[in-house]
Amino acid sequence: MADGPKPSSSVKLVLLGEAAVGKSSLVLRFVNNDFQENKEPTIGAAFLTQKCNLPTRTIKFEIWDTAGQERFASLAPMYYRNAQAALVVYDLTKPTSLVKAKHWVAELQRQASPGIVIALVGNKLDLTSDGEGVRSGGDGSGDADVAEGEESGDARKVTTLEAQSYAQEESLLFFETSAKTGYNVTEVFTAIANAIPETSLKTTRGSNQAQGRTGDEQQRVNLNANSAGAKDGCAC
Amino acid sequence: MLNLQSLGSSLVQRAQQLIDPMQGLNLTSSDKNPSKASLFQSQFRLPSSQTPLYEIAAELTIPPAGVTQGDKDHDRGWHYAGRLHLSEAYMCFSTTPSSFLQSASTSSSQSFTGQTHGAGPNGNGFTFPLCSIKRVERLNSQNFQFSLAITTWNGVLFLPKSQRDSKDPKELKEQRITLHLAGSRNACERFCDGLKRGLRAALGNLPKLRNVVAECYSEYLLRPDDKDKKTVSPPDAGLGMAFRYPGDPKKLRDRAKMRLWHEYLRDNGRNMTLVRQPTFHKLIRVGLPNRLRGEIWELTSGSIYLRLEHPTLYAETLEKHAGRESLAIDEIEKDLNRSLPEYPGFQTDDGIDRLRRVLTAYSWVNADVGYCQAMNIVVAALLIYMSEAQAFFLLSALCDRLVPGYYSTTMYGTLLDQKVFEGLVEKTMPILWEHLVKSDVQLSVVSLPWFLSLYINSMPLVFAFRVLDVFFVEGPKVLFQVGLAILRINGEELLDATDDGAFISVLKTYFSRLDESAHPKSENYKLRAVTKFQELMVVAFKEFSNITHSSITDLRLKNKDAVLNNIENFAKRTAIRNLGPDSKTINPDELGALYDRFYGVLYERQQRDMILQEEKRRKAKSARSRIPDMSPDAHHGIEKGRVGLGPSTSLMDYDAFREFLAGMAKWAISDHSPATPRRENSDQRSFASMRRSEALMSPWGAGPEPADHEFTQRLFRHWDVNNTGTLTLQDVVSGMARIKGKRDIMGAINYFFELYDEDIDGKVDREGILSMSEALLFLSRRGLEGTLSPSLHEFNSQQQPPNQPPPTPVLTTPELTLPGVSLPEKFLGSVSAFIRRCFEYADPDHPKNQRSLGGCQQAGDKSEPAVDNNAFAIGDDDDEEEEDLLTLESPPGSPKAAAQKPTSFSSSQESGGDTDARRTVSKAQSEAANVALDPANPLHITLPTFRMVILADELLEQFFESSFPTSFHVIDGIGGSNGATTPSSLTTFTNMGLVPRSAFGPAGSSQQVPPGMAGPGRGLRGVLDNIVTAAGEVRRRVEEAQKELEKNALPEQGDEDEEEDEDYSPGESQKKRTTSMVGEAERRSVLSSDRDLLEGADAEAGARDDNTASEFSDPKSGSLAISATSTPRPGSSQPVQRIVEFEG
Repeated sequence: MADGPKPSSSVKLVLLGEAAVGKSSLVLRFVNNDFQENKEPTIGAAFLTQKCNLPTRTIKFEIWDTAGQERFASLAPMYYRNAQAALVVYDLTKPTSLVKAKHWVAELQRQASPGIVIALVGNKLDLTSDGEGVRSGGDGSGDADVAEGEESGDARKVTTLEAQSYAQEESLLFFETSAKTGYNVTEVFTAIANAIPETSLKTTRGSNQAQGRTGDEQQRVNLNANSAGAKDGCAC
Repeated sequence: MLNLQSLGSSLVQRAQQLIDPMQGLNLTSSDKNPSKASLFQSQFRLPSSQTPLYEIAAELTIPPAGVTQGDKDHDRGWHYAGRLHLSEAYMCFSTTPSSFLQSASTSSSQSFTGQTHGAGPNGNGFTFPLCSIKRVERLNSQNFQFSLAITTWNGVLFLPKSQRDSKDPKELKEQRITLHLAGSRNACERFCDGLKRGLRAALGNLPKLRNVVAECYSEYLLRPDDKDKKTVSPPDAGLGMAFRYPGDPKKLRDRAKMRLWHEYLRDNGRNMTLVRQPTFHKLIRVGLPNRLRGEIWELTSGSIYLRLEHPTLYAETLEKHAGRESLAIDEIEKDLNRSLPEYPGFQTDDGIDRLRRVLTAYSWVNADVGYCQAMNIVVAALLIYMSEAQAFFLLSALCDRLVPGYYSTTMYGTLLDQKVFEGLVEKTMPILWEHLVKSDVQLSVVSLPWFLSLYINSMPLVFAFRVLDVFFVEGPKVLFQVGLAILRINGEELLDATDDGAFISVLKTYFSRLDESAHPKSENYKLRAVTKFQELMVVAFKEFSNITHSSITDLRLKNKDAVLNNIENFAKRTAIRNLGPDSKTINPDELGALYDRFYGVLYERQQRDMILQEEKRRKAKSARSRIPDMSPDAHHGIEKGRVGLGPSTSLMDYDAFREFLAGMAKWAISDHSPATPRRENSDQRSFASMRRSEALMSPWGAGPEPADHEFTQRLFRHWDVNNTGTLTLQDVVSGMARIKGKRDIMGAINYFFELYDEDIDGKVDREGILSMSEALLFLSRRGLEGTLSPSLHEFNSQQQPPNQPPPTPVLTTPELTLPGVSLPEKFLGSVSAFIRRCFEYADPDHPKNQRSLGGCQQAGDKSEPAVDNNAFAIGDDDDEEEEDLLTLESPPGSPKAAAQKPTSFSSSQESGGDTDARRTVSKAQSEAANVALDPANPLHITLPTFRMVILADELLEQFFESSFPTSFHVIDGIGGSNGATTPSSLTTFTNMGLVPRSAFGPAGSSQQVPPGMAGPGRGLRGVLDNIVTAAGEVRRRVEEAQKELEKNALPEQGDEDEEEDEDYSPGESQKKRTTSMVGEAERRSVLSSDRDLLEGADAEAGARDDNTASEFSDPKSGSLAISATSTPRPGSSQPVQRIVEFEG
């Protein structure tokens, strides 16, 4: 069946999370392998695409990078509408951002497409003392807002355990990343790509074949999503 | 001749313009009928302080350029027919007819006639601040009755005085225009009178004008070429002066544009005194020259008039808030470095600082909006062309008038305009629309940033600014026209795009090539020279010229509700989800209903407040001015706030809280007339100050007046965890969760105790106990709800009192009555027993023990403190059944209970009237020395005691288990239909036929019955007070008993001044024990009056059920009986006031 190029399908992915946790930076790292200090704030949402090559298929991510400011929240339904995957980002150095992230997870589970794959991502690992040597020293120019107290060597305020157990509870993929150093960034997107259930892919080119690998990943797919009223959420 | 002609042409113009724009943007005021004032303000872009006072048809004559003065030039020059308007501080003229009938009232224009709908200054004419008028002369004219020659300060403002006063007009080149008024002599005279008054009033504003105008670049540009020109530095025309303006000046033909503007301004006046002629609009369409851009934006948007009104506002705001922090500031800081970062000015501190200051200042003056991402981009763009203050006021004009709601916290304006835009696309490009729908591309994901950042970060800056040039004159329709044109021009390619990505990339490419030729392959070099941007402008304004303000207003109106509902659903969902763990104990439906009620009350109150203010203002105004404005529908312009419009209010004060409670709990509805004196203590004074002193309308709107009881105050304070005097939604939900959440009786009992244990020491003192009993009576006075035990239902056979309608089963359990005794009466009995038991089992409050008691309490609820034994010892002295304070105590259902009730109030004196006998009994009783009542022995109950006392009574137990939580009808509320608000459903003695009408006639008649309260026997409501204040009476009796005690203990000592001794500290009390003979006499008189009333009650009760009185023979029980439970006093205030004294 899969003769010629690997089957390719596009996946709509939306980034959500508090302002300045590094959503845009994660995308920029993933798409351009780049990091920018001063990015214009996202007005509404930015749209980018990037391909992700899996052994058996190619996933083309259509990434909607949303504005993080609280008042833009009411626009979010417009962007997560029909999304097959979501990246909910928080800032490891800012506990409130995890709270906000949890709100987003709850929102997505109730309002987004059923079966949406949600990944919880703690960003700015470079500001913490762990992170397997990803720390890039104390220059700390970080994302849009620089966590305070980085001089102390560890600005981490959210433990891996806390976030991880929450992620497990809610059946989310979980990663800690650094958009600045690039640590774990690609892994997030790859994991999401793997977790997308075959059935929810736009079957453009013979992607119907059974994929053992994705099957294994099914367990990580969030199946809790409440399908009821998934479309009601659109605010426009 | 010419005049007639021009008048004729104006008619044609008028007719044509019937299809022209409406610019009603007053989404926050009445949509369908924008007020005349708001239309006027929009049309001339005036501040909201201006209202149209006079209006008259007139012809404007502008002398031809170069001609200075002289009657012989009368027929030369330009003539425009239109209407002349006068407001408080402005005289405006426009050829675009006003959008309202002259006869329309100031506040409404139901007969909306015109087409401008406040379209902004796109007609020819002028908007002169009155202070810019130097001189008005009346001319003799053959054609018109009144001709005025207006000379402005144009150009002479900054001349040295000597030069300014020069009589030589040639040298001065004063701006002088002529106005011929066309109206009845009367109308003309009225107008002129108004003008005279206005001019006089405006005299003081000349310095302001000078200040404001000094910041305008045109003043510098048009300075006479004298020797200073070189030395004077030009006013700040934005960062562009230092960092260059975007784009290539050559390509932009900036020099040529500047020359044209120079000419125009020279001939037609500058800034404040500018007269709009057709050239003005043309010059704007071709793009403004860099250095004048800011000023013209300011002028056309009207923000210059805001600046004139308060020239120092910007600086003052910054100064006032210097060093302060806010959420908005945090958000601003995050974005400062990423606002037009490619513009060199914003790579420097100067630029960044300016941006910071403008955004910060605005976030302070408009805290409701604060800061919204995209504002940084817009302001950054403005700052390239104008000074900080100019940008600050222009931002105001944007947020308030040009793009209302775009940057609000809910961004409803943005979402709404996206809907409108989609609607327009569907209408004008159906094929494209169909394609979008089919390929599931959501247009707004593309177009939203266009609108939100006014195309600034979508198009290359030079082009975005061209769009802005037109936008500021013509208003928001420009955004739509440009957007539609973009789609039309790219239609073909967009039809090939099948997903968001492709769609976006088509447009991205287009924007990046706007400077390229639109027809690169054309043979015609002229056509080849047309850029894509020029093509865009042509398509936007020609092809979409039918996109008018009227069509946009219509579409906005049509979509508004849906958009707001969507936002509100989202906000509600989010808010509820984020309410924290407490909220999880409340079921989601109730949570939703709580949310709705919370905001419902707040917004309703806000609206009522605004209406009241409006009313006041209107009255004040019509009293001042000669124009009567009696329109009865004056407040239709005030729209109720909505969550979707941005949270203009989210804090609930005490009065709102009362209203909130009254919406869902029967007991929270007042029985009092609004005039009822309230308990005034220190806590309450702040509440009282929030209330409006004079109610022009019912302060509670259409709803019933909420009760103001000590219990509601307590509840409010308890829910107000942060002690702010206001409740947030979170507070309300957390509070409610404690009551309705877990539904376990222990929780409810604990909670009730907590309410009274204000210092959280685990103890509730005598005062608290009495307050508790008051509260129990208060809560039960309209009947008990919820599940009551079968044992009670058994007695349900004999049902309702005669005049009581059948109860609604849904909300209330049937009023249970024993033969002659209703459930509420039984409840009274329970409360009575409660008080007795509390005192019985109370712990003494000796200072020695206090600490240990508290310690014990904290250590463990279950362990009775060791001191309890003492307490019992004290209480045991007179621990007898008969010592019942309310004398109603009896096991539920016992015949005794049935019998006691009605007569208990008058104690044992069947014949009545024998005060002395009563006294004797009382004395005898007090000699028995209920130590518990002795203030010399302060006491308290602990939570375990309280629990025990509650659980000892079936009815109280059920009250806490079911009745109290059930009494909050969070979801269905208490509409009028269920009868909760009608007095007939109140559990009153009246309803039971126990009290004669005459007894409370006065109270009833003085009452102002709120709507919804009307019903049979409403005059009898006064009697309720008595139930509610029963415990007040208990207090009184306690006091009395105490006095007796004191009297007995220290018969000789009398201190008349301190009869109401409130000092309970044991050390002090000995000294202060007093008995006042005066007080005694007073009490006696009260009692006897009580008794009179009670006799009636007895009589009626007796008539109904004879055996009631007979049971009632125990003299002891009468001694402390709560006579007042049934004592119908004419005014309930007395016990209440006594409480005040009691507490000091």
